[in-house]
Amino acid sequence: MAVVEVKDLKKSFGSLEVLKRISFEVERNEVIAVIGPSGSGKSTMLRSLVHLEEVEGGSISIQGSYLVQDGTYVKAKDLKEITSKMGMVFQQFNLFPHLTVIQNLELAPKLLKQAATEGYRKRAMDLLEKVGLADKADVFPSKLSGGQKQRVAIARALMMNPEILLFDEPTSALDPELTGEVLDVMKDLAKEHMTMIVVTHEMEFARDVADRVLFMDQGEIVEAGSPDELFGNPQKERTKAFLSRTMRNRRNE
Amino acid sequence: MSLDYLLTILKPMLEGAQATILLFLVAIIVSIPLGFLLTLAVRSSVKPVAWLAHAYIYLMRGTPLLLQLLVIVFGLPLIPGIGEYLVLDRFVAACIGFILNYAAYFAEIFRGGLLAIDKGQYEAAQVLGLNRWQTTTKVVLPQMFRIALPAVANESVTLVKDTALLYAVAVPELLHFAQTAVNRDFTIVPFFLAALIYLLITMVLTLFFKWLERRMQFE
Repeated sequence: MAVVEVKDLKKSFGSLEVLKRISFEVERNEVIAVIGPSGSGKSTMLRSLVHLEEVEGGSISIQGSYLVQDGTYVKAKDLKEITSKMGMVFQQFNLFPHLTVIQNLELAPKLLKQAATEGYRKRAMDLLEKVGLADKADVFPSKLSGGQKQRVAIARALMMNPEILLFDEPTSALDPELTGEVLDVMKDLAKEHMTMIVVTHEMEFARDVADRVLFMDQGEIVEAGSPDELFGNPQKERTKAFLSRTMRNRRNE
Repeated sequence: MSLDYLLTILKPMLEGAQATILLFLVAIIVSIPLGFLLTLAVRSSVKPVAWLAHAYIYLMRGTPLLLQLLVIVFGLPLIPGIGEYLVLDRFVAACIGFILNYAAYFAEIFRGGLLAIDKGQYEAAQVLGLNRWQTTTKVVLPQMFRIALPAVANESVTLVKDTALLYAVAVPELLHFAQTAVNRDFTIVPFFLAALIYLLITMVLTLFFKWLERRMQFE
């Protein structure tokens, strides 16, 4: 059974249709890369999975439980239960600036009383170790580089033991030389079979790490397939045009 | 100019300064929480509450503090029927006036602090599973107070100087005793002395807020 099932998702901002009957499924342990031009609805689609955006029609089901069914959302309590299975990493990190790195990690599990208090610190330190920032546990986010901030944000999301991790352009706000350290952490997660949906402009990451790539344009999934299929032999004109545009930009950089 | 003279006029002036400092402390301790409640009222989803809060802030910021003090101290007792019940100790009445007025200013300062918080903070809190109360108390308010701190410090210094308005409602305070001494002894010295005492108070206040800002540096 698919862990994420999205069917006929619809949303508009005023007269602009940002999602036009989007449908796709994600299997357990799959890494999905979502690519496409700016304004194609990628982020809106991702954000609607955790209810940061409300859709007007269609269904989203997470591990068999409906978050929204034919445009009708479940009760607030169930909604929270279902979205709690997902973690999210934002383009702008959204770390809490008034808390130290380790406090950022511990805040939510402490408030939600997930385990005994002494458990948090060990788990937080283990995760910081994992993203290579154990030595930064007691500093404030303002002292970190963008890449370090994003790695902390990933560790913070992992603290909640998510079944599915969503990434909304996790490297787009970073200087080019800092994207590597973040992508490396994401690659490690993929190797550990974390189920991930990654909205990204990093074509190499999509090609090397993703199991499947979705190409979105103007609120639709134009084409979906394995990285080999999509990058090697795109079927649709819009996909070809986007890929050649992106690759040309890459060469010009 | 003898040291004896300075000491003679200093004594009543320091007593006056006590009234000044007491008013300042009462006003700041009560008006900051009240201002924060007003901020919440302004943002309330219950429309009449929000309108009332807006109207209150408009009234308090749109009229002179001096007028408000005169109304509370001398005006209210003149209201037919209920006026006799509104005769308060002048100092108490003045405290109420300062609190009501400054709460409106603090409300606007805190509102500015809330507006400065990025919406990504709310989104991160939501995705991590925090409820509204947890998000407000653990994520939003600590940041709001930090952002508002320099403006709160500024407003506090203004409050110290505004206490001189007590003069107009005939509550003896620092400036009152200075003026009395000037009239009696025909010398400018008491004014300078008063200025020195005000400067001393604002310096202590400034140092306190600087210390608080450093402590809340988040670095």
